Amino acid sequence: MAGGSTTAAAAVPGGARWQFVKGTAGYRTYKTVGVALLVVLLVLIAFAYNDTASVTLLDNDYSLSLPRIIKAISFMVAILGLQVVAGFTGQLSLGQGFFFGTGAYLSAWLVADQNWNFFTALLVVVPVCFVLGMAFGIPALRIRGLYLALVTLALAAIFPSLVQLESLKDYTNGAGGKIVDYDFEAPEFLPLDGIANFLQGFPLVGQYFGDGDLSSREANRVWLFFLMVVLAWICFKMVSNLVQSRPGRALRAVRDNETSAAVSGINLSLYKTMSFGVASALGGVGGVIYVAELGIAAPLDFTNLLSILFIVGLVVGGVGTLSGAVIGGLVIAFLPQWASDTQSFPGIPERWLQGPVGNLIMGILLIVITFVLPGGIIAGVRRLRARFVQVLPEPPAKLAAQLAALAGGGATMAQPPEPTHDDVSDGTTVASEDTPASSTT
Amino acid sequence: MSDQHLLSVSELRGGYGQIKVLRGFDFHVAEGEIVVILGANGAGKTTTLRAISGMIERSGSVKLNGEELITTKPADIVHKGVAHVPQGRGTLPELSVEDNLRVGAYIRKDDDVDADMEQWYDVYPVLRERRNQRAGSLSGGEQQMLAVARALMSRPNLLLLDEPSLGLAPLIVQDLFARFAEINKETGTTMLVVEQNAQLALGIADRGYVLESGDISFDGPADALMNDDKIRKAYLGV
Amino acid sequence: MELFLARIFDGLSNGSTYALIALALVLIFKATTLINFAQGEFAMFGAFIVLVLATEQGIPMWIAVMLGMIVTAAVAAGVERTLIRPFDPADHLPLVIITLGLFLLINAVAGIVWRFDPRAFPELFPSGNVFSIGNAPLRWYTVFTLITLFVAVGLLTLLLNKTKVGLAFRAVSSNLESSQLVGIRVGPTLQFGWAIAAAVGTLGAAIFVADPFRQLQPNVMLTVLIYASAAAALGGLDSLGGAIIGGLAIGFVQSLLVPYTPIPNELSLAGAVLVLLVVLLFKPSGLFGTAQVERV
Repeated sequence: MAGGSTTAAAAVPGGARWQFVKGTAGYRTYKTVGVALLVVLLVLIAFAYNDTASVTLLDNDYSLSLPRIIKAISFMVAILGLQVVAGFTGQLSLGQGFFFGTGAYLSAWLVADQNWNFFTALLVVVPVCFVLGMAFGIPALRIRGLYLALVTLALAAIFPSLVQLESLKDYTNGAGGKIVDYDFEAPEFLPLDGIANFLQGFPLVGQYFGDGDLSSREANRVWLFFLMVVLAWICFKMVSNLVQSRPGRALRAVRDNETSAAVSGINLSLYKTMSFGVASALGGVGGVIYVAELGIAAPLDFTNLLSILFIVGLVVGGVGTLSGAVIGGLVIAFLPQWASDTQSFPGIPERWLQGPVGNLIMGILLIVITFVLPGGIIAGVRRLRARFVQVLPEPPAKLAAQLAALAGGGATMAQPPEPTHDDVSDGTTVASEDTPASSTT
Repeated sequence: MSDQHLLSVSELRGGYGQIKVLRGFDFHVAEGEIVVILGANGAGKTTTLRAISGMIERSGSVKLNGEELITTKPADIVHKGVAHVPQGRGTLPELSVEDNLRVGAYIRKDDDVDADMEQWYDVYPVLRERRNQRAGSLSGGEQQMLAVARALMSRPNLLLLDEPSLGLAPLIVQDLFARFAEINKETGTTMLVVEQNAQLALGIADRGYVLESGDISFDGPADALMNDDKIRKAYLGV
Repeated sequence: MELFLARIFDGLSNGSTYALIALALVLIFKATTLINFAQGEFAMFGAFIVLVLATEQGIPMWIAVMLGMIVTAAVAAGVERTLIRPFDPADHLPLVIITLGLFLLINAVAGIVWRFDPRAFPELFPSGNVFSIGNAPLRWYTVFTLITLFVAVGLLTLLLNKTKVGLAFRAVSSNLESSQLVGIRVGPTLQFGWAIAAAVGTLGAAIFVADPFRQLQPNVMLTVLIYASAAAALGGLDSLGGAIIGGLAIGFVQSLLVPYTPIPNELSLAGAVLVLLVVLLFKPSGLFGTAQVERV
């Protein structure tokens, strides 16, 4: 909500090193630089992590491989879906793993048995998950809060046995998992080798970008990475637009106050069900990315533990913020992996470094974050960034005109932003770093 | 104030979150008195009682027998001898009448609980008849009796009564107030009553305060208030 | 007929476990309207304590069970004090997240300490059958499981109805504010609820894995929790008696669904989920629960 965040931002004393005013050339430069840095970062990640798949620290090899980053992207998209339900309507769904699994299996079947490719598979996965999610959302109209969490968790618990059903074995391959053999051929016109060679040419850091031309496997991996980044970016952009659209503002009204939303004529049921549909479709897309990278959909990857891990990502990243989904995805993809990569650590007995150490850390993290940083990591990051960069609101005249326009169409103007959570609109455009400096402290 | 009262309140402020209801006022209740606080809806009567028993954020001073209670937690205030019958009775609907009375004696460690219970059954025989019924199944008047008896089971020094007449038929209310006067006389229990029914309340009270938008505007002996023209117009409907 | 009887007997023993875990859920729900998602993991943890005490320390089985109940009760009391009490009881979201965190944490600790290899649990009840009707044996295990359930419920009822702390617990469950106004300290009372719930859950888990057909491993309670929450919801979530009837009913649903419907064995969990869904949709107060308005 522009009104809330701008007034609050204006109240922040000008302690930041850089200040930008919305709508000015300086602000556009700030945004452009942000986007450019992000693109450069992604290129560096693609080529650096392709080859040096691990970092050695205290005798342990920590995986930083590109496949795991792609896995993180799949989690990000799934958590983005949870943001829609949890962040924007205030409901907790513990069933996201169900849709993640559905997307994974559906695309695996389409690609492996029907000779589709993963992008055409999306054309089936998205509507199927959307409709399934709407069906989920209908009970959610009557079942609230805790009960909804319980039911969704229960549904997620069924998924592994569902895909292992005898009658579905021809499609899902039972306990063995559905294997997909599909290569994302990097197109010839892309100068991937050229970029690799260029990066290798840098003194000192060049060694981290491998040696010589990329093998075709490496090239395909880089290509897959970029494709999935674009796909995820589209998902984030769409949700960000949804947040600012009229239905999006309605969704947040549902979260803030159901009664006031109802009396202002918002079709509550429709938007609530829709938010479940959108969330589930995103879960499905996440599942597609997951299988595209891993090449197999196995039943035990989609237990209710996965759904709970998504909640970890949601909470640790930051409920109600889109950038929180990015952080959350990275956390749940890498932390458990690094935990199991740790074979020795000073002061910790070896026994405590084996087994489900990742889940142990996830559990502790979930509790600790709930206590010390209820807004998630993103709230901490914003607080930190606010010390350096501050985005000021547009000049009053222009703003007033915008507010008037908003008030004409929207019903949510009366709600002040919640002080504990960053308002959703603050985190909308993750990819372009458009977020105003944090106003919440 | 050098002479020590049972309850001395000064500069009492309190409210709910951002909404400040009580604007800082003083009053006192002496041992054995029945004191009534009159006031219109929203004047802050209920808030005053909740501030005394620690159920809301408050500041100022609330002294019981000279002991400061302003930072004491609600459960501990009960242990100090303050019993509070909240608005809407606050019975425990799923528990039996007898269990409600037992809960009232929760803070006591002596062996006279059963005897006390019999005593209150004598005062309110209908409760004895229904001792095994769920409290939620009682009528409004019976619930009010139960709530009062439960509060008295803790053998309080000070009984806070919040709108005991609310939602009850006039005859029942009259009986209820007559019983308050008796209890006060027989047990010496000090009472602070918040009430909209000024006529009845002043009828049994020794003194009264009038609360208007979070501040005390009048005070005096009950009969003086009863005969004050302004009070009569505003609260007695005469 | 034989098949039917056999399945009924199965349903009884499974249902008793579900009932005990459901009782644990109900105890916490009654007092706080919170569903403890880690309840099953507390119980699993308790069962491991029992196993260690019995097999490694050589303590007699029933004493080990009681010690296990005490240990988990103490752990749960500590958890309530440190992780639950600091939060506003009316704001469910952080509390649910905390219990999910506990779920991951306890499950992982058990996995690290005891590994995931299934372990045989010492016998708690005499083996063998009371009698057999054709191919339908009534096992002593089933009989004793039922007896234990009813003894546990009886003791629990006595505890709640005849002791001062039980009275305080029922008062807090009924009306939090009034409980404070009679001098009950709400925090320690809820702590008592958490402790008792954990103890009851441990008993349930111990009985569950004491079945010679089952073994103990850290994930053993994952699906049991789902069955138990379906049972608790069916019984009304705040009714102890309802939890028992709900538990047994879910046990029957599970054991009768497979032979008499086209639903395959792998999906018997779905039957429980369906019950849960239907109850919450059409009768959220369950069979015996108090109707209440849910506002989160």
